Amino acid sequence: MDMLELLNFYIIPGLVLGSIYALGAVGITLAFAILRYAHLAHGDLATLGAFIALAIVQASGMPPLAALPFAMIATAVVAVGIDKGFYEHLREKPKIITVMASLGIALMVRAVVQVVWGVDAESYVRGIVRPETYWGLRIKDREIWTVVFMIVLVAALQIFLARSKWGKAMRAMSDNPSLALLSGIDNRKVVVLTWIIAGGLCAAAGVFLGINTELKSMMGWQMLLPMFAAAILGGVGRVEGAVLGGLIVGVAEELSVLVLPSEYKAAMAFAILLFMLLVRPTGLLRGKVL
Amino acid sequence: MTSLLRLQGVTGGYGDADILQDVTLHVDDKEIVVIVGPNGAGKSTAMKAVFGMLNVRAGSIVFDGDTITKWATDRIVQRGISYVPQVDNIFREMSIHENLEMGAFLKKGDLSAAYDRVYSLFPDLKERRKTAAGTLSGGQRQMVAMGRALMLNPKLLLLDEPTAGLSPRYMEQIFQICRDVRDTDVAILLVEQHAKQALAFADRGYVLAAGQNRHEGSGADLLADREVAEMFLGG
Repeated sequence: MDMLELLNFYIIPGLVLGSIYALGAVGITLAFAILRYAHLAHGDLATLGAFIALAIVQASGMPPLAALPFAMIATAVVAVGIDKGFYEHLREKPKIITVMASLGIALMVRAVVQVVWGVDAESYVRGIVRPETYWGLRIKDREIWTVVFMIVLVAALQIFLARSKWGKAMRAMSDNPSLALLSGIDNRKVVVLTWIIAGGLCAAAGVFLGINTELKSMMGWQMLLPMFAAAILGGVGRVEGAVLGGLIVGVAEELSVLVLPSEYKAAMAFAILLFMLLVRPTGLLRGKVL
Repeated sequence: MTSLLRLQGVTGGYGDADILQDVTLHVDDKEIVVIVGPNGAGKSTAMKAVFGMLNVRAGSIVFDGDTITKWATDRIVQRGISYVPQVDNIFREMSIHENLEMGAFLKKGDLSAAYDRVYSLFPDLKERRKTAAGTLSGGQRQMVAMGRALMLNPKLLLLDEPTAGLSPRYMEQIFQICRDVRDTDVAILLVEQHAKQALAFADRGYVLAAGQNRHEGSGADLLADREVAEMFLGG
């Protein structure tokens, strides 16, 4: 197998899949660092975002990328609503209860998707997309958009966290929650902000998965494990780590097909997660151990 | 003259158990007051009571004319009391400058005067303002913690064992910083393990044991008191 073949059939699809994982993993890592629990409904929120975008595309005829901002806003609103309706009441309880509640939310969100849109596979645009060739590399437009959007969204988030007052408040809450409260930072606002960002990124992950493959009611749930593997691989609380972790998990899953039967592709994320927790639980970029 | 802070007969604890029994103490303007006593005497608890982190069942806490006994923490911060916990008192992954900024989170408008004030008290910090606070030495971390607490320009600073785990050289430095802070018209109430050194440097002191007031007086008087010396200061 030559170099071009490796790039075309494994590395490029791996980076695209990895970018999708990264978008979800960034939200997971923020929720983990600030709210301090593993949010198991993250994948199904991504499914919801993808289907909201489908509804917009079908109703208005606009391309899926144009529907993306609306889907992100709608999913962010849903995420904040779920927090207000369910997680907020569990804040003082042991975190494992919220983790279990988020599993229940995952099932509820999926059920809503199945009731509204059915269980059949859907797609945003019908027909086959032919890749363009750049110096022998075969890349589809939608693959470029996926990677570019991921980079733009993460860069915007990083600037927000580094420069803005409330971005810094989010970092402070992640760094030392009791001192943040002593400093007068309003925890409730930080939590709402976290859900707006995590919900929006969730929808982006779902929409790009839908653009690059197809929409199914289980699409997000199946992404949950790789997204968690990515967040932990990069280091919990590290946005840039979640991106790095997402890309590594995506490429590793595609490369695993070279040596393993393709049914075991999903096991790759699990193997990476286990290996990382055993060898370096703080992740590549030294995140938190919760 | 009314005191800046007065605890009158404060009884309370974290759950049902009362850790403090009828504690009475006061801090005047521009005064450094130290609470000493054996481990488990309720020293830190007394401080947390002031800061609204304790269930106060009886007694009152009056600060600068307001009864703050039942106030929420953020309201107390706004009113002019800052608290520096003993441990985990900095944002490790944030820069020194960002730590100070978080200290002034409740303040609207221009912060440059507040930064200038803190950086003139701690010139070491100004040079390293972009450094992550978690990478600093113990003494410098304490400076960051105090700097964060001073950003809102409080009238009273509460310090919970600021010299714990520091070498004698740093201890002297922290005490000197406390004097410098006091000279900017901030009263200080601190809890100390190093009773002898703390009493020698403070204006007044209280000896707390088993959650109750046992002795009070000027630092020098308490140091000279034989009973205090035998009970708490190791002879």
